[in-house]
Amino acid sequence: MSMSGTVPRRSQRRPTRLWRSIRHASGPWIAAVILALLAAYAFVVPLFSVDPFSLAGMSILDSLLPPRWMAGGDPAHWLGTDDQGRDMVLALAYGLRTSISVGVLSVLIGLVVGGTLGLIAGFVGGWADTLIMRAADVQLAYPALLLAMIIDGVVRAIVGGQRSVFAAVTIVVISIGFAFWVQYARTIRSSVMVERDLDYVSAARISGRSEIGIVFLHILPNVMAPLFVIATINLGIAIITEATLSFLGIGIPLTYPSLGMLIRTGNNFLQSGDWWIAAWPCILLVIFVVAVNVVGDHLRDVFNPRLKGRG
Amino acid sequence: MLSYVSSRVLQTVAVLLVISFIAFLLVQNLGDPLAILLPPDATLAQRDALVRALHLNQPIVARFFSFVVDMLHGNFGISYRTQEPVAKLIAERFPATAELAFVSLLITIVIGIPAGVYCGVRPRSWMARAIMFTSIAGVTLPNFVVGVVLIAVFSVRLGWLPSFGRGATVNLGFWTTGLLTRSGWESIILPAIALSTFQVTFVIRLLRTQLMEVGRSEHIRFARARGLPDRRIWYVYAIKNTLLPVITIMGLQLGNIIAFSVVTENVFAWPGLGTLFLQSIQAADIPVIAVYLIFVGAVFMVINLAVELSYPLIDPRILKRTS
Amino acid sequence: MLDVRGLTVTLPTETVGITALDGISFDVKPGEVLGIVGESGAGKSIAGAAIIDLLVPPLKRTAGAITLAGERIDHLDAQAMRKVRGRRIGYVFQDPMTSLNPVLTVGRQLIDTMRAHLDITRGMARRKAAEWLDRVGLPNPRETLARYPHELSGGMRQRVVIALALCADPVLLIADEPTTALDVSVQAHILQLLRDLHEESGISMILITHDLGVVSKMADRVAVFYAGRVAEISTVTELFEDPRHPYAEGLLQATPRPSLTGRGHVIQQIPGVMPALGKIPGGCAFHPRCSRASEACRTRVPELREEGGRSYSCFHPIGGKAQ
Repeated sequence: MSMSGTVPRRSQRRPTRLWRSIRHASGPWIAAVILALLAAYAFVVPLFSVDPFSLAGMSILDSLLPPRWMAGGDPAHWLGTDDQGRDMVLALAYGLRTSISVGVLSVLIGLVVGGTLGLIAGFVGGWADTLIMRAADVQLAYPALLLAMIIDGVVRAIVGGQRSVFAAVTIVVISIGFAFWVQYARTIRSSVMVERDLDYVSAARISGRSEIGIVFLHILPNVMAPLFVIATINLGIAIITEATLSFLGIGIPLTYPSLGMLIRTGNNFLQSGDWWIAAWPCILLVIFVVAVNVVGDHLRDVFNPRLKGRG
Repeated sequence: MLSYVSSRVLQTVAVLLVISFIAFLLVQNLGDPLAILLPPDATLAQRDALVRALHLNQPIVARFFSFVVDMLHGNFGISYRTQEPVAKLIAERFPATAELAFVSLLITIVIGIPAGVYCGVRPRSWMARAIMFTSIAGVTLPNFVVGVVLIAVFSVRLGWLPSFGRGATVNLGFWTTGLLTRSGWESIILPAIALSTFQVTFVIRLLRTQLMEVGRSEHIRFARARGLPDRRIWYVYAIKNTLLPVITIMGLQLGNIIAFSVVTENVFAWPGLGTLFLQSIQAADIPVIAVYLIFVGAVFMVINLAVELSYPLIDPRILKRTS
Repeated sequence: MLDVRGLTVTLPTETVGITALDGISFDVKPGEVLGIVGESGAGKSIAGAAIIDLLVPPLKRTAGAITLAGERIDHLDAQAMRKVRGRRIGYVFQDPMTSLNPVLTVGRQLIDTMRAHLDITRGMARRKAAEWLDRVGLPNPRETLARYPHELSGGMRQRVVIALALCADPVLLIADEPTTALDVSVQAHILQLLRDLHEESGISMILITHDLGVVSKMADRVAVFYAGRVAEISTVTELFEDPRHPYAEGLLQATPRPSLTGRGHVIQQIPGVMPALGKIPGGCAFHPRCSRASEACRTRVPELREEGGRSYSCFHPIGGKAQ
């Protein structure tokens, strides 16, 4: 077997292979480590500090300090302070904590709602299937962001202007979560339709298992992988959606800020040159979302090699 | 074919009726229009007149019917927030949004399509890799962050372009345009770029994937085996095969583009429909929200229906399959 | 007309290069039909695609000289190679269902192909396109020009493919399994068409097939491929009456056919299967299945040797002198 022709080509291929291995092998691991570190930062720092968004946490005397390496920076405030004298390192931790919490919760809601509807559509079939899938078609016109805005406006009309922080957060979580149900429902439905006629399910049915038992013991475990992949990818979208809503001033209130809210605040100080108030939450948001997406893409490739390289 | 078209049109109308019914229920059940629209010292006669004007004295089916008829006549109800007819609010703001959408579509076509074709034809070149790398930013950066960064760089730092408003506009009677003045063009550049970021990167990635897939097909290989010039193979033989999925997927992205227009208009204080919608949400102005709900659904459904009905023009195989 | 020497094609993998074609040599004389036969996976189609440099990546030509009418064509630049494809060498692909562009009319594809190579006006190309459709036996050539591929049957499509391959008057036609994908009833018609066109124009032809029956009807000489190497090259009569290579003999015995001499024969399978790419044993690739194999066959690769106008690569040929 002649191999002389292959030697030079292999050396030419090296840069692309290196790039590919970074992207496909170490990339997801780096991203996962970044996610873990950021999550730790977001959930551990608040345990050992005064809430900067309470009255006790503000200090007007220290307001609008630039990051410590710039002229006029205070060594105690690494990334500077905002207009209320909050330390940015602290404010970012609280903001990220809110963003992650809202993102995870809304993904879970979408998963539960969509999962249930998908199971019903797939298992019951008939009119239930038609109804649920037509509703899914209609909702295609309204992406997560738009739907969340509409739901938010409607809820405002129902409950009026007086809302507790808890109510405001709940509204945001539900309206984002609801926007995601279609994808989960479609995935589960198609899996159920494939699985329910397979031999092992028929066998379980003949051996006297109830329909619900079949769903939980036989069908759900088989569709967990794709659901998990979609959930990861949706987490990135949920966090961006929440940040956008907060930026637009229809999301989480200022006393319980998310990254989007911090950017909204910072945006007001851009014109006067105090760039850091908006810049840090922007950078943190982008890093977090990119890391989530890298992990999500990797999971998709692992669980569903057929889709590799798409999009 | 005719029956196919009519059944699809009927389906679209049915879906729009469902959306309208949801909007109708919102308007009917949220807020008390009488309390909001009537002055505190209103007489009983004024009150009765309003009840009749809003059809509040009729059964629900009749009210829904008159709601739909009103909508079709351009009578969209009255805003709780400004007490003006919703139709008037929309007419005032529509030109701003339409011009923004037009310019950003222009950017998408001029930049997105050539770059996408290039990346699909030469996926391994360093240029294509650079474009793909940059496009990751376009896909992951939140829309409002793009706007904020553009303002920070081009308005605040460099001072080249304005960061808010439409600039000077010219009233043409039926249309106010910003595209006839220098300040109007300067004002539209940044928001149009911000709005087109998503579309441009989306078109690039989509075209690239589609072209790479078609490029592997047997008929392209046969075209090569016949010695057709590369240009002709890519720009005619391959691209014609990608049109169908590309316009289909773009049509389905329309909802996203509308959502991003709301965000972009807010970032740049653009006086368009998106800003109106956002103000209405903050004020829980249900009549405007309801109209917007119907409007977005109608635009989405009608455009996607048009896309679907244009399939036979693009791909001769479709006609056979559907008829 | 065509001379191929030491053609080697490699499939690079992460660690090693797998040899798909290992130093293949054969030639096609002017006006001759050379059949290339072998089981699927023997490298027949790869050899065809390698001649016009249209291997499907990552397959790559790594060695060999290809001479067409006295001119080397294995190291031409892309532009010069484009002028060989279609203009000097026509190529017919296996599956007419996938080798025509689905969104362009038959006429458009013919006219584009002619105008890529011949200096003629659109009107002339159109007339010639209709003439070609007539020559390949399609009814109503003028109307057929405006047809899309999906409107034609499989047999009609293959006729269009043949017209496309021949319309720029090449000197050599490579037909890769031109009838395999067709209904049995249509196969004979397409073969008849190829034979007629060959007789009319005297074009040289390479006919790649796994079907010895097709070869016996069409070819002047036959090259038998086994596991990426040439086992034997003989005239049709020599091969069928007096094969030299044990594999060629095994292939004949495994094929039901009306014997040329009228004697019936018992169908016998060759034991074992052809090794897959990358699993080809050392020595003669056929030795594990060969009843005549000796120690030499296991350790050394037999070279393709010429003897009395025919060639074979075997240490223990049937009826010939031992190497």
